[in-house]
Amino acid sequence: MDRSGWLIDEHGIDLRKALKAKKETGRVSPRVHDAPSAAVIRDIEAEVLIEATPTDFKTGEPGFSHMKAAFESRKHVVTCNKGPLALAYYALHELARHNGVQLRFSGAVGGGTPVLDFGKTCSTGDRLIGIRGILNGTCNYILTRMEGEGVAFEAALAGAQKEGYAEADPSLDVDGFDTAVKLVITANHLKLSKAGIKDVKIRGIRGISSKEVTKARREGKAVRLIASASAESGLVVAPTIVEREHPLCISGANNAVEFDCEYSGPKVIIGKGAGGPETASSLLRDLLEVRAKIDGQPGSRPAWRAAGAVGGPAR
Amino acid sequence: MRIVMKFGGTSVASAERIKNVAERVKGSGRGHQVVVVCSAMGDVTDELLALCADASKGMEKPVEERLASVRETHLAALAAAVGDKEVRRKVQGMLNLTLSQLEKLARGSTVLGELTPRSRDAILSCGERLSNPIVMGALIEKGVDAVFLTGGEAGIMTDDRFGDATPLLEVTKFQVSEKLSPLLAEGKTPVVTGYIGATQSGDTTTLGRGGSDFTGTLIASAVDADEVWIWSDVDGLMTADPRLVPSARVLREISYEEAGEMAVFGAKALHPRTLEPVAEKGIPVRFRNTFKPDDPGTVVKRNPKLYSKSVVKGVALVKEVAVITVRGASMVGKPGSAARIFDVMGRSGINVLMISQSVSESNISLVVARSAMEKGANALELALLGDGGYRHILTEGDVSAVAVVGGAMRSTKGVAATAFGAISAKGINIKMIASGSSNQNLSLIVAEKDAKDTVRAIHSAFRLDRLNS
Ligand SMILES: NC(=O)c1ccc[n+]([C@@H]2O[C@H](COP(=O)([O-])OP(=O)(O)OC[C@H]3O[C@@H](n4cnc5c(N)ncnc54)[C@H](OP(=O)(O)O)[C@@H]3O)[C@@H](O)[C@H]2O)c1
Repeated sequence: MDRSGWLIDEHGIDLRKALKAKKETGRVSPRVHDAPSAAVIRDIEAEVLIEATPTDFKTGEPGFSHMKAAFESRKHVVTCNKGPLALAYYALHELARHNGVQLRFSGAVGGGTPVLDFGKTCSTGDRLIGIRGILNGTCNYILTRMEGEGVAFEAALAGAQKEGYAEADPSLDVDGFDTAVKLVITANHLKLSKAGIKDVKIRGIRGISSKEVTKARREGKAVRLIASASAESGLVVAPTIVEREHPLCISGANNAVEFDCEYSGPKVIIGKGAGGPETASSLLRDLLEVRAKIDGQPGSRPAWRAAGAVGGPAR
Repeated sequence: MRIVMKFGGTSVASAERIKNVAERVKGSGRGHQVVVVCSAMGDVTDELLALCADASKGMEKPVEERLASVRETHLAALAAAVGDKEVRRKVQGMLNLTLSQLEKLARGSTVLGELTPRSRDAILSCGERLSNPIVMGALIEKGVDAVFLTGGEAGIMTDDRFGDATPLLEVTKFQVSEKLSPLLAEGKTPVVTGYIGATQSGDTTTLGRGGSDFTGTLIASAVDADEVWIWSDVDGLMTADPRLVPSARVLREISYEEAGEMAVFGAKALHPRTLEPVAEKGIPVRFRNTFKPDDPGTVVKRNPKLYSKSVVKGVALVKEVAVITVRGASMVGKPGSAARIFDVMGRSGINVLMISQSVSESNISLVVARSAMEKGANALELALLGDGGYRHILTEGDVSAVAVVGGAMRSTKGVAATAFGAISAKGINIKMIASGSSNQNLSLIVAEKDAKDTVRAIHSAFRLDRLNS
């Protein structure tokens, strides 16, 4: 499904053909459809919705309506769309629970790097004290360039745009908003906080001068846009000076997150924080998890049904 | 400030009163952002309930009569409450739409002689869907930029237990905030039907008894209101029912927990979950009298400071209860006995109000609504008597419960002693001492004939009649 229509085929869609059509015509479907997308999602017979429409940080739409329609019709949801999750984290979970289906979103933070799953594993059987990390690759890329080439923020940003690391409108990235949204999702997912996006103290990297960056470098340190969450200081996104030796102090368009636990101590996960194929891999991972959980559940749909056989008892 | 004002059925019972509501909203709400929530007019909900009963029996004539009366009530109220022609025409259009839906539903069910829970809720919701547009009209006439929404349109989403639906709290909070906050920011005054929600597929549901208050607190929590004002025709929450105890006083301040206990024990018919959404955020709820706009009423809030020296804040009488006692020597020390009993009651759909277990006598006593006594006793007999351990199941129907309510009561020494002393001084025998789930109340079971005297004795023993002096 895209903005102009959708493809439906009970026997499966020929992906190669669909992608070719998308490339050539800009549309997945030969026809332009005008029924509301949420209604299509609700009425179609399918088991899972993969929601990957653009993130809207203000309303969460159209993602929220899409997911709501999926839940209403008892479909599982796999998504990497941060907007609805940051704005309506508990509402979406409540809807999933109410309808007895799963909501998975490992691609929403860290792209293909399983930041949320890693954090969950770290905090299971231990008490999570705090999270600290770099959650936006674009900002990190810009800061790294300022550091390496001694250039001003504007020049580094222009460079990042030329290389395709930053959008034409970079404000969501450089002003810290994208980082804050991911911080909210992570903190809620790990039950560290019930805070929403309004509760995050946000300062982006626009005001950083090359002087500050150079000074930090001379002292064996570096400026990074750090997102942090803890019971004491709440949720904060701010440029922070970190030791160059610290594992969080990564370079380039990467993400790194540290989970500090009371008994097992701090652990860090590092990886690419975004990218199409990377994020797609996490969608696929979630999809397989959905399948695995259905199969593991007693009384769930038997495997022969999934294999495409017909007949048998109704659900 | 952002204020949610909820008006009960008596406050909107006539055109005159609807105008008074508009006056209150305009006057007390000046300089504030206000959301208005109203119940159905006067006894319209009762009329609709009766209509449902008639329709499900296929009784055409009474159904028609009731439909006519509902139509008449609202059209007359509109004519008298809204003078401006333009506004009246707008409201009239809304009423006609709802009235014709109501008529279709009622006639359809009458023909079938059958009423599904879903249709029943659609019919019951009409009371609020008719009263609120008139209030909106009266507000517009006073120059307030009011807009009408049903609970479902405002974003209140519930499960599909028609008749007593439970809101999905998180979804509701998100959706209501998305819908109402922008309206408030634009300076509009949303007028939202109390008592009504919608399922995820858009079917209308009702929230059960006292549901309009619940609508008010749900909305308050969603839009981060500063206060909720629940307007009715009484002065506030009181230390006791003034019909029982003439010297009962209005409480100026009490905690959510105390108010919750009073609700459970019937001091005011609050929906049991009314305070949940506001307690979580610490939003104060003010109970006020529509006819006494200068009276502050009762504030329910976090950590009330007033009356910090009085442990006991109120005493309530729960009539129509009964005690079921399960006796059996071998129950002593047998783990899970109480759980087993609760399980049986739960499966029979019987709500256990209180429990009392005396280990030495190996008894477990349950307090239930009197109407559920027989059913409960039968269920317990069937389930337990074959088991050996349980010997007898006894019932006692002519009893009442008296609940003494107050913060942190059981951690304060002497409360029970004072209460018992006062009661025995009157020569009244306490049959059972029971506890609810919190430490905010102490409940006593006495013979029904002694109940009123017990309430009065406790009220004066704790000097509740002098609370505000
Ligand atoms: N790319 C990443 O590295 C990355 C990493 C983590 C998370 N994410 C998240 O993943 C989501 C997708 O990102 P992306 O980079 O793939 O964005 P994108 O290239 O802009 O793709 C968005 C797709 O959604 C479709 N769409 C937009 N509105 C729609 C509507 N109302 N109904 C149906 N389809 C609609 C668009 O259709 P048209 O083709 O017709 O415009 C387009 O195909 C975003 O929420 C993003 O935040 C992305």
